[in-house]
Amino acid sequence: MPLLEIHRLTKRFGGLVAVKQVDFTLEKGWIASLIGPNGAGKTTFFNMITGLYPPTSGRVVLENRDITGAPPHQLTALGIARTFQNIRLFGNMTALENILVGRHSRLQTGLIGTLLRFPAVQQEERQAKQQALHLLEFVGLGSRTAQELAKNLSYGDQRRLEIARALASEPKLLLLDEPTAGMNPNETAALTRFIQRIRAELQLTILLIEHDMKVVMGISDFVGVMEYGSKIAEGTPAAVQADSRVIEAYLGKEAP
Amino acid sequence: MTQQGQALKSGNILGAIAALTVLLFGGWSGAVIGWLLGTAAGLMACQGKKVATPKLGIRLGSKAGIALGVWVLVASLIQGVVLLPATGQSSLGLISALILGGIGWVVAILAGWLTGALQGLGPNRQRATAALLALTLIAFPLVDRLAETDWTATVIQILIFALLALGLNIVVGYAGLLDLGYAAFFAIGAYTTGFLSSPQINLEWNFWLVIWIAAGVAALAGVVLGAPTLRLRGDYLAIVTLGFGEIVPVVFRNLTDIRLYEPISQIIASLLGRPEWVICLLGCDRPFNLTGGEAGINPIGRPALPFIGTFQAGQYLPWYYLILCLVVFSAWIISRLRDSRLGRAWTAIREDELAASAMGINLVQTKLLAFAMGATFSGFAGAFYGAYISAIFPSVFDFSVSVIILCMVILGGLGNIIGVLLGCVIIMAADRLYLPQLAQVLKALLNNTVLPNISSPVLRDFLATSVDPLQMRLFLFGLTLVVMMIVRPEGLVPDSQRQAELYESEDESLAEARSQ
Repeated sequence: MPLLEIHRLTKRFGGLVAVKQVDFTLEKGWIASLIGPNGAGKTTFFNMITGLYPPTSGRVVLENRDITGAPPHQLTALGIARTFQNIRLFGNMTALENILVGRHSRLQTGLIGTLLRFPAVQQEERQAKQQALHLLEFVGLGSRTAQELAKNLSYGDQRRLEIARALASEPKLLLLDEPTAGMNPNETAALTRFIQRIRAELQLTILLIEHDMKVVMGISDFVGVMEYGSKIAEGTPAAVQADSRVIEAYLGKEAP
Repeated sequence: MTQQGQALKSGNILGAIAALTVLLFGGWSGAVIGWLLGTAAGLMACQGKKVATPKLGIRLGSKAGIALGVWVLVASLIQGVVLLPATGQSSLGLISALILGGIGWVVAILAGWLTGALQGLGPNRQRATAALLALTLIAFPLVDRLAETDWTATVIQILIFALLALGLNIVVGYAGLLDLGYAAFFAIGAYTTGFLSSPQINLEWNFWLVIWIAAGVAALAGVVLGAPTLRLRGDYLAIVTLGFGEIVPVVFRNLTDIRLYEPISQIIASLLGRPEWVICLLGCDRPFNLTGGEAGINPIGRPALPFIGTFQAGQYLPWYYLILCLVVFSAWIISRLRDSRLGRAWTAIREDELAASAMGINLVQTKLLAFAMGATFSGFAGAFYGAYISAIFPSVFDFSVSVIILCMVILGGLGNIIGVLLGCVIIMAADRLYLPQLAQVLKALLNNTVLPNISSPVLRDFLATSVDPLQMRLFLFGLTLVVMMIVRPEGLVPDSQRQAELYESEDESLAEARSQ
């Protein structure tokens, strides 16, 4: 059974069709990439999967469950987490608090519990903090950054913190929107290794939007290519690289 | 700044306030204000720094106390020897003024000494400070009565507004939803109390039950208002809440003539077994007056306790302790909310709504909860206010109330409980205590000293009619806010996050300037 199945997903903004009848299937345990020129509709596609945009038509199915048009907070609870292309951390909260917010959907405490602070609530809060510190360690930030305001972290650390925040919700499917944007080759290589480690240690399925071909070809089990809102090719990295339509989309048509 | 310097500075800032108090009020006010501000000076002197030992705390605290006391002493002398005769009262005499001022000085030093000592206690510091503050607040009305300063009534007003400011802080400070109609919830709490414990609809329920109902109804109103505004942000949200704040008093003003179509009311009344108030509510033979219109609801039942009996109008002690309990209870609840899953969700929404929803926060539920919790505390305030004044009028809940509460929150420091309380005390004390007294003293001064010496009748008339601080109330208020926004936009005791937000751009531009 595939983890995520997408059937003929379409998004229309007025006259503009941003995503046109895209089918996509994601098997459990894959690292899959979505590539394509700027404006191809990749991020819109992400936003529909994570519930930020309701699709115009089509269906999104997570583990045989139709989740089309569900609000984002429900999707997080069902196990979809994401990062953003332009980092969207809670800048004036500490790194630790950012991760704790990411854990929101896995914590139970309601209003009554907050006010009366039962032992169980305190226990939950302690555990959440422990796990958050653990996650900071896991993404390579270490506990020294825990009390640092998120916006004071370096760019690379902010990217890592955003991933940690997404991981805090214990997702089955992790969506990374251009995780290596703005990174130098060293940082990119480190992040690539890190993504592989996430899959290995946490048994996640990962879907990423990426422009760096070295990253895409290096870690992907499966690649989908989009152009002008449509999917033009998909398959293994090698197959996609050889596809004439992909070459055309990236390099232009050969002169006759 | 060195620790000693900070201590001196705290003493001097608070000393200026204390001196003003002594000049205006005279008598034993020096001792009372020396005690209160001496405690504050002790806290300020040791604030933010690590005070390792009680000894160091004592040094800092008493230093601040001494500086504060000097102001009190000098002000006492001026007041007793110069100001009293100038305002047409008999002079106190140098010796008496010196004694009064000296007592104020000693009290200030002792208060600073004690507070400072507690700050050096290490791990027990917070508990000791809390105990000291609790004792101070409990003792205040007794000392006030002994010293004949008569401030308790004003302090009760201040505490009512403290409750309101704490509630608004949840909505504006924590969740970042600008609410300009907060007085509406105050009105709803007060009117709920009015309906349930007054002869208006012949329900005279017990205050201790009604106050909870009032809070519940206000919370419900918060949800009702919150629901349609969920998709709005910033300016648009502010405008809608402003509208709500205007509508509610108008509704209460006009619900005086309720009449239902006759047969329907007959049927409903017969179904309900015709209890008197149902029949009248539905307009049997005469229109039903629910809110009393401009005249309001009067009288409203007062709370009663065993041993104390019913709280009386002129006896402030039970009222003071009741509202004090309410404020402390609310501050405690709010501090718990803040350090919780819910408080984090509020902050996350304030920071980035979209990212918050993608992190699993239910925006609808969380925002509505902010509105509801904020409204709950104004419901408490409304219930207390209704019972305390024993009468409510729609004009009490107009737009200016919403604005003043918002100013308290901003002046003190958005998102910080201590800051909000401080902002409330400053604005209310200035408005209700200092300004009226200043008007009185100025008037006496003019009549006895200045005016007789002015020959021109035009100038005399002008001075006699125009020098009135009460008329300049709103001007002074606006001036304070403008100055605050320039000098310290983050508020007096800012929340660390909010401070960071405000100085963000400044830091960047500074860094840019340096790199060039």
